[in-house]
Amino acid sequence: MLPHEYLSQQHRRTFLRTSGLGLGGAALATMMNPKLLKAEMAPTGLGVEPGRAGFPNLPARVKRVIFLYMSGGPSQFETFDYKPELEKMDGQPMPESFTKGQPIAQLQGQELRCLGPRAKFAKYGANGQEISDFLPWTAKIADDITIIRSMTTDQINHDPAHTVMNTGTSISGRPSMGSWITYGLGSEADDLPGFVVLTSTGGRNPQPISSRQWATGFLPSRFQGVEFQSAGDPVHYVRNPKGISPERQRRLVDTVHALNGLRNDLVDNPEIQTRIAAYEMAFRMQTGVPKLMDFSEEPQHVLDMYGTQGADGSFAANCLLARRLAERGVRFIQLYHRGWDHHGDLVKFMTTCTELTDRPAYALVNDLKQRGMLDDTLVVWGGEFGRTPMFQGKGEDPGRDHHIRGFSMWLAGGGIKPGITYGASDDLGYNAAENKTHVRDLHATMLQLLGIDHNRLTYKYQGLDFKLTGVDPAHVVKDILA
Amino acid sequence: MIPAATSFFGLVMLRCSLQRGVLSLLALCILPSATFAADRAVDFAREIRPLLSDKCFFCHGPDPTHREADLRLDMRDGVFADRGGYAAVVPGKPDESEIILRITSDDDDIKMPPPDSHKELTTEEIALIKRWVEQGAEWKGHWAYEPLERPPVPQAASADWPLNSIDRFVLARLDREELSPSQDSDKVTLLRRLSFDLTGLPPTPDKVAAFMADESPGACARQVDRLLASPQFGERMAVYWLDLVRYADTVGYHGDQVHNITPYRDYVIKSFNDNLSFDQFTREQLAGDLLPEPTMWQRIATGYNRVLQTTHEGGAQEKEYLAKYSADRVRNASSVWMGSTLGCAECHDHKFDPFTQEDFYRFAAFFGDVTETGIFPGAPNANPTKRPPEIPVWNFEQYGRLQAIDHRVSELNSLRATASGGESLAEIEKELTALAEERAAIEKAFPLCMVTVAQEPRPIRLLSRGDWMDESHPPLDPAVPGFLPPAAHENRATRLDLANWISSDQNPLTARVFANRTWKLFFARGLSGNLDDVGAQGEAPEHPELLDWLAVEFRDSGWDVKHLVRTIVTSHTYRQSSLETPEMRRRDPQNRLLARQSRFRLPAEFVRDNLLAVSGLLVRRIGGESARPYQPEGYYRHLNFPERTYQAHTDSNQYRRGVYTHWQRQFVQPMLRAFDAPSREECTTERPISNTPLAALAALNDPSFVEASRVLAAHTLTQESDQSSRLRSMWRRVLSRDSTSEELDLLRRLVEQDRAEYATDPKAADELLSIGLAPIPKDVDPVELAAWTSAARALLNLNEAMTRN
Repeated sequence: MLPHEYLSQQHRRTFLRTSGLGLGGAALATMMNPKLLKAEMAPTGLGVEPGRAGFPNLPARVKRVIFLYMSGGPSQFETFDYKPELEKMDGQPMPESFTKGQPIAQLQGQELRCLGPRAKFAKYGANGQEISDFLPWTAKIADDITIIRSMTTDQINHDPAHTVMNTGTSISGRPSMGSWITYGLGSEADDLPGFVVLTSTGGRNPQPISSRQWATGFLPSRFQGVEFQSAGDPVHYVRNPKGISPERQRRLVDTVHALNGLRNDLVDNPEIQTRIAAYEMAFRMQTGVPKLMDFSEEPQHVLDMYGTQGADGSFAANCLLARRLAERGVRFIQLYHRGWDHHGDLVKFMTTCTELTDRPAYALVNDLKQRGMLDDTLVVWGGEFGRTPMFQGKGEDPGRDHHIRGFSMWLAGGGIKPGITYGASDDLGYNAAENKTHVRDLHATMLQLLGIDHNRLTYKYQGLDFKLTGVDPAHVVKDILA
Repeated sequence: MIPAATSFFGLVMLRCSLQRGVLSLLALCILPSATFAADRAVDFAREIRPLLSDKCFFCHGPDPTHREADLRLDMRDGVFADRGGYAAVVPGKPDESEIILRITSDDDDIKMPPPDSHKELTTEEIALIKRWVEQGAEWKGHWAYEPLERPPVPQAASADWPLNSIDRFVLARLDREELSPSQDSDKVTLLRRLSFDLTGLPPTPDKVAAFMADESPGACARQVDRLLASPQFGERMAVYWLDLVRYADTVGYHGDQVHNITPYRDYVIKSFNDNLSFDQFTREQLAGDLLPEPTMWQRIATGYNRVLQTTHEGGAQEKEYLAKYSADRVRNASSVWMGSTLGCAECHDHKFDPFTQEDFYRFAAFFGDVTETGIFPGAPNANPTKRPPEIPVWNFEQYGRLQAIDHRVSELNSLRATASGGESLAEIEKELTALAEERAAIEKAFPLCMVTVAQEPRPIRLLSRGDWMDESHPPLDPAVPGFLPPAAHENRATRLDLANWISSDQNPLTARVFANRTWKLFFARGLSGNLDDVGAQGEAPEHPELLDWLAVEFRDSGWDVKHLVRTIVTSHTYRQSSLETPEMRRRDPQNRLLARQSRFRLPAEFVRDNLLAVSGLLVRRIGGESARPYQPEGYYRHLNFPERTYQAHTDSNQYRRGVYTHWQRQFVQPMLRAFDAPSREECTTERPISNTPLAALAALNDPSFVEASRVLAAHTLTQESDQSSRLRSMWRRVLSRDSTSEELDLLRRLVEQDRAEYATDPKAADELLSIGLAPIPKDVDPVELAAWTSAARALLNLNEAMTRN
């Protein structure tokens, strides 16, 4: 008798009736049916999370978020925020009225001069969205995206600014937005984590990025973002050890389950059932993840649209992977492209970065749209901050320093009023002047689209009801909602 | 929408001790039989104060900027004061009490809490408050801030059961609930519990056999003494302390470069092993440099003030980062020693506890003399980096050798004084010279360690809303929070004054906080369940007298940590079985009443240590450089300035305990991470205990697990000759107990099936055996070894193998 048969005979009392399925099937059946699961787990008093009951608590417009995170801070002046006045002032001193008393990053103590846009702009789409010629593909989806030109954030250095963009504060240890969202809504994926992170590089010397940016903070560990790698194991430890075939691994897992089950008859520990479920999921992931990463079932025209051949870790491949993850029910998908920190050689590195990212971003939006998935997906494009209207002289050609008082992002998808530009910066692009939108407003809006009142999704920690949008007031940007 | 519970990870229900939202609700309802009885006396500390705090203090609490109607409900005066013909609370008269009127009103203009506050009182809570007023509205100060006095030990009904005073408190409470303690754990479970709890390691089969054979009185206490005396005790305690002080090998921000701090970790281990008194441990870490003629270890201890997260990011601003570091120290020190969230007062007065914003900055001012810079303009991207002041110091190993040298030198010196013969004198001289050379060589090899050097204090000002650019306020002198007992000091108060205040007998917080957290290590849950906040929003202890008694016992023993631990683990309460009946699970799911022991998955480091111990791979060397176990390739690829490639250790450092693992704050070793090891960016008082597929993958496939399995298999094959004794021996080695025939049968089938398969696929066997650096014994058949490796993998993946019962 096989171990799993043995188990299914012996453990009708504690495990669900398996009707001829092996234990794998039994555990799976438990997992596929939340009612059964809750019935199993409820006596512990720990499994159920009442804080999440009742979410979404607003009408949800989207089910998931794909965040195209342009890490390093792309320049708004060469993408979405055309500033003719700045062009006129090119090479002139930056008026002190703008910069006095403001935090400055690498330009501390240096003479501040204006740097005009290093790109040509044209108007695209029905409403004439201004987009630079660095982004010819994004221009094609001008009618699908809403550009926000009045973003602001609090932190002027990469590491803390990333932390603000992801967690709403620069203090370490708080949950990232992907963790909050999977905590609030769970996930629809049955063999993948609910929050997946993909990364790519290309551009100027890539700034480091910490796993803190997708960490779960004080929320339970299972809401942690899981990073998928293109090299080595796609997920840590997802491959069997050398010399262990899938059959051998199955046999091992079955033996572990059977032994755990025998023990459970004596000690009646709900943790044992949880562990069996976790191992079963792990085993499924061992086949599910490689399948996900295998693009052979994608038709050539789709590969061509993204500009990729396989899951090679490029931004293009990651965009296609993002669609595949979205199809499988993953709740929050975050793509970091590291390379946008253009202190110098702006034109050269803008060229590199946009060649790597422009077309895939277009392809993703287009692909989702063709499949009817854009209606229930929110796509966000942007970095941790923007760049100065002032010249910086690293490298052979001019560049721009970090800037937090005004920068640009775009959103597309369900519930978004498409094809408009929202907010504006001042004449020189220094300060967000109209409809200032703080990162926490972006968070509040994102949650709203997912059907979550940002004031209500809270978690008790250190005696306080923490929330993604923190203690300062956050506002849903209603004007961009359809 | 598909329900959240079908999510991949959401499915996997876990025991998460951080689910405070759930827990605090449960806190009010563990006793269904008694809670709603109308005549039951309402417990102000446990039932009323937390309600007032959670629902009312935001507008009627310590923070004056949000205070409404000039009413404070966190102070006696506010609650009972005559407000011109009426009062918030009139004892015994709910109908005349304004708060009852307000909380029961239907009128949105009058109702409290107001609808837009998103705070609501349930019908039960309203009834509770009403009954409290009816019963005379007893008022007490907040439990953790009251002076710490030794409560009388209750006389328990059963004189037999208690072994010490802890048991009398527990039993008295169980008597009130009409419950009985659980029976004792079996001896194997008890020894495993003691071994994991006191050393983080499982007992060897020999130790189990010896304990089973020892039926004399005091057998258990002798095991406790043995384990407390073992050097692994310090390693075990350090795992927890290092979480609190957020010890790590790297700077944390941006490039996350390595910084020089490992001797501080050795200091912590050594201090617990030497049973350094906790008050002195406190003084040395906060202010060792200010002690008279500080020793080398005391200077190393001050690495505490330097181990926070720092940055080397280009473009970082000096003043901004000095402000960040300053705030970080307040958050950490107040959390580590006071269990307080003083950090919340950086931008505003605390909403729930009487900490003012000025308290925050005055506390920060204690650290204004710590020499450091916010940024590093010159070549900041080296690895290890430089963060002066750093001094060369010994690590634990070097210290040990130097002690031995000194001892021998003094022996030789005495010999020389009495030596007569020329030959023996020459030999003595020769040895002395060699020892002097060795000493010099060791000193030359001292690693660097960041330490605290006092300088002229930087001015620390109150920063409006925490804004580092604000210079509008005057510099503040250091001071402890105003509502707590004052600190003794002459002139400007120093870090040493702060440390003395923290560890003074009058401080109501320190002993309670440490006793509560220590309790947690041995029961999985603190007596107050909220380990990081003993303030108004924390959790009033279920056994308040026991916590106070334990805290006094600790303080009055001269802050003797081993005494505290011994008192806890030699109680009968500790010895109970951790099995739970369905009835008790329903009635007291979190085991607050202590009618049983708790069971929990081992902390990440001990999961690793267990593998190494049962396979025999463990290298027990204490202290020294951080160890780099196997790690998936490319894990550091997002690090830059400089770029990094991880090099796993290929020497004995590969097999060192988890406490020594190189702690990269931004990318913690992934096996440890999968088992909930924290990033140590901030103070961690309690790790979550999860049970996820990622941890399952690590246990199945991490090379450390596979290698340990292979080595355990090889050991078993070499030691035992026939299949059945091999199965039994391997079982005992991993689980300490004997196996049942059903269990052995399952394991035997696995071995036989894998053996048959590997026999037809010897290449697969070779591949499996090639994992890990440990040598393979020459005379072992690879097919046989591969098959037994499977058995060992199965055992090491069992729930029981990673559970402390």
